Amino acid sequence: MGKTDSPTEKRALTIIGFLCNWCSYGGADTAGVCRFKQPTDLRVIRVPCTGRMDPLFIARALILGADGVLVSGCHPRDCHYAVGNLYARRRLEILKRMLPFMGIHADRFHYTWVSASEGQRWQQVVTEFSEQVGGLGPNPGVTSFHTGNREEL
Amino acid sequence: MGNAIRYIALDKLTRVLGRLSEILDVWVPTASEEKKRLVRFMPYQAGMIPELVEQSTLGPKGALLPQVESLFRFIYEKDPDDASHKRVELEDPVAPKPTLIFGVRPCDARGFLLFDRVFSAGPHIDGLYGARRDLTLLATLVCLEEDAACFCSSVGGGPADRQGSDLWITPIGDGYVVEALNDRALHVMDLLEEPANELQTAAATKVQQEAAERRVGNLICDQSRSNFLQRFDDLNYWQQMAGQCLSCGICTFVCPTCYCFSITDELKGMRGERIRSWDSCMFYTYTLEASGHNPRPTRLERYRNRIGHKFSYIPEKYEGIIGCCGCGRCIRSCPVSIDIRKVVENLEEKAHACA
Amino acid sequence: MNTSILSELKKQAQQAWPELDLLIGWETGYDTLHTTPVFIKDSSEIQRLVWNPFCAQNLAGYLVKSPIVPRGEGSKKIGICVKGCDSRSVVALIQEKLVARDMLFIFGIPCRGVIDLRKLIPNQTGAKILSVRLTDDQVEVEHSKGLQHLAFADVLMRKCKRCRYPDPVIHDVLLGESVLPRIESHELYQDVAAIERLSLQERLAFWQTELDRCLRCYACRNACPLCVCQDRCIAETRDPKWLTQYMNLPEKFMFHFIHALHLAGRCTECGECERVCPMEIPVSLIKEELNKITKELLDFEAGLDLEGVPPLLTFSPAETGI
Repeated sequence: MGKTDSPTEKRALTIIGFLCNWCSYGGADTAGVCRFKQPTDLRVIRVPCTGRMDPLFIARALILGADGVLVSGCHPRDCHYAVGNLYARRRLEILKRMLPFMGIHADRFHYTWVSASEGQRWQQVVTEFSEQVGGLGPNPGVTSFHTGNREEL
Repeated sequence: MGNAIRYIALDKLTRVLGRLSEILDVWVPTASEEKKRLVRFMPYQAGMIPELVEQSTLGPKGALLPQVESLFRFIYEKDPDDASHKRVELEDPVAPKPTLIFGVRPCDARGFLLFDRVFSAGPHIDGLYGARRDLTLLATLVCLEEDAACFCSSVGGGPADRQGSDLWITPIGDGYVVEALNDRALHVMDLLEEPANELQTAAATKVQQEAAERRVGNLICDQSRSNFLQRFDDLNYWQQMAGQCLSCGICTFVCPTCYCFSITDELKGMRGERIRSWDSCMFYTYTLEASGHNPRPTRLERYRNRIGHKFSYIPEKYEGIIGCCGCGRCIRSCPVSIDIRKVVENLEEKAHACA
Repeated sequence: MNTSILSELKKQAQQAWPELDLLIGWETGYDTLHTTPVFIKDSSEIQRLVWNPFCAQNLAGYLVKSPIVPRGEGSKKIGICVKGCDSRSVVALIQEKLVARDMLFIFGIPCRGVIDLRKLIPNQTGAKILSVRLTDDQVEVEHSKGLQHLAFADVLMRKCKRCRYPDPVIHDVLLGESVLPRIESHELYQDVAAIERLSLQERLAFWQTELDRCLRCYACRNACPLCVCQDRCIAETRDPKWLTQYMNLPEKFMFHFIHALHLAGRCTECGECERVCPMEIPVSLIKEELNKITKELLDFEAGLDLEGVPPLLTFSPAETGI
């Protein structure tokens, strides 16, 4: 894995990106085609629409130790399915506000809107989020706790 | 047996547990400070104060039948010469360690007696349970506590029932008199402070006699086997008795005699583990078949099965022993206060039975 | 006061009986401290009903989950007894079209609060409670080692201490006199605010300690009147496989995320999940936090308005700032 303790060298992050098929996935593609330099920490999962995003996908990733989760879809009112992202917006915002209550840093999760033509904006979104998550350091998940008196299975 | 009776003063108890835990895994019932009503059996750690007055919410069954245990681990490896082939390697689970469960009640010990019948008395022996059981000592406390939900005497046990126990602890005010009930227990006796003097043994005998005279619960269930079968199809009865059941798993999880488990493969990448975990007959998935059919589709059938299993099928299979130890935990913990005694008692058809 | 409410309840039930197929209420359980839900199918059984501060169970869930509650067309109405908090669950079920208003006959009982049996602890070790006598603001506990007096307000459930709606918000008959809310609306989320004041690490540690005790017995889920997926719950299905059978913290956290997030904007804070937990985990706090967020963000409180739509089942294109 080539991890080092040197503070100048950043540890590879695991960031999960859920991108909607119609806008943000295209936007990421545009950024690639235009050869915009992007951080390599993002693992992209393509979803048909942000309306498909179950907040539990995000919770699961963060509980199991993903360092960050990024959700990106069509701009509001531009959804391929008209309203998917409008439902998603409420769910995602509620999740974002709830995470810190359970002890998970809200900055590990970000949701935004990037259209297929916004390669530049995609570059900016990914870079900023990657830096934000990098600043928080690795996510311990919820497993780092040991009662010390039971077998960990 | 004279030198096999020892005395532990109250203030020496933790010292004794400390000494025991050097040679075995010791489990004790503990209450957490702020959660006064919650008592669980936990592996002993220095500084822990055992809760020996209140009955544990969750009994000691997890010490012998853990909620989750590994049956074996497996690792897949790709065959470098033949990509269509995978090799699998198996790893044994961790071997059990000598264990002592301190402060169980006679009802809890009775629960293990049933486990023994099911898992280790043959003809099919569960190696994992058997190995663990062979290495485990039960140090049982004469029961001086009972509440409105207890009914151990009704199902063959009692507050001074020694069956299934290895060490016998009698509280006598300022301490505990401990007696070895069999040879298995002798090797720990030396660790239990001083030998008991005559006064102490006499006090203990008195406490034991008083406990033995108490009858806890007045349920009569010697006819439950056939009564249940007669009630089996009486859906109206099950509606009346268990209509309020929520179909949660509390009663089965806190039950010292419930041993049903599920076996699943939990795979991550090329490695995995086959695990056994507590299951509950109250759950829909318990009898869900691969076709999608479920022979026990509603809570009523599931609740009926719980009663049938304990009071009819187990006695049928194991020479009349009742599959219930009368600890009352299912009554106490039930969110809707279903009383198993009432359900069993009313199995018997009475003219115009008034519930 | 409770006895007069009870006799009124029996009278009203008797009167309404020709309209009813079934009446869901409470009866005395295995001892005087416990009540258990009862399904009355014959008017002669109305005598079994009880009402007292031990009637903790929220009966609304039975309307949609019980195999013995008829849900067919053409049958007569189902009678149900509700406290203030329970009535909100009924409203939420009607909102989601899980039960029809005109199928229900609701006996509303203004509630002064129900007793948390976990707070009814004798002051002497080993003492067992024999009987309990209630006066207006006192609880007299007779236990095996003596007599003890407790203030009624001290032994209430946590949900009752923060009760805003002691009077049923929906009913066909109302029994007894109106009860004042126990707190002001700005005090509603004090319990979650106390956790919010902790640092992020402390909050994580708090939930790790609490949720570590979870047995995944699913009592919280099954007691919840609004957890209506029942046998199809994703916590148990193997396909899709959200959870393994392991009993480790990630699985326990995940289960409670599933439960709480599926109740976001729907939970009516009846506190059943917390009451039934055998491991005494304050699971209701997670839902309260979500309710607090929904209130701040979308100005919605569940189970108050029959015409309301749960906020996550709808949207507003114009909303900004989220």
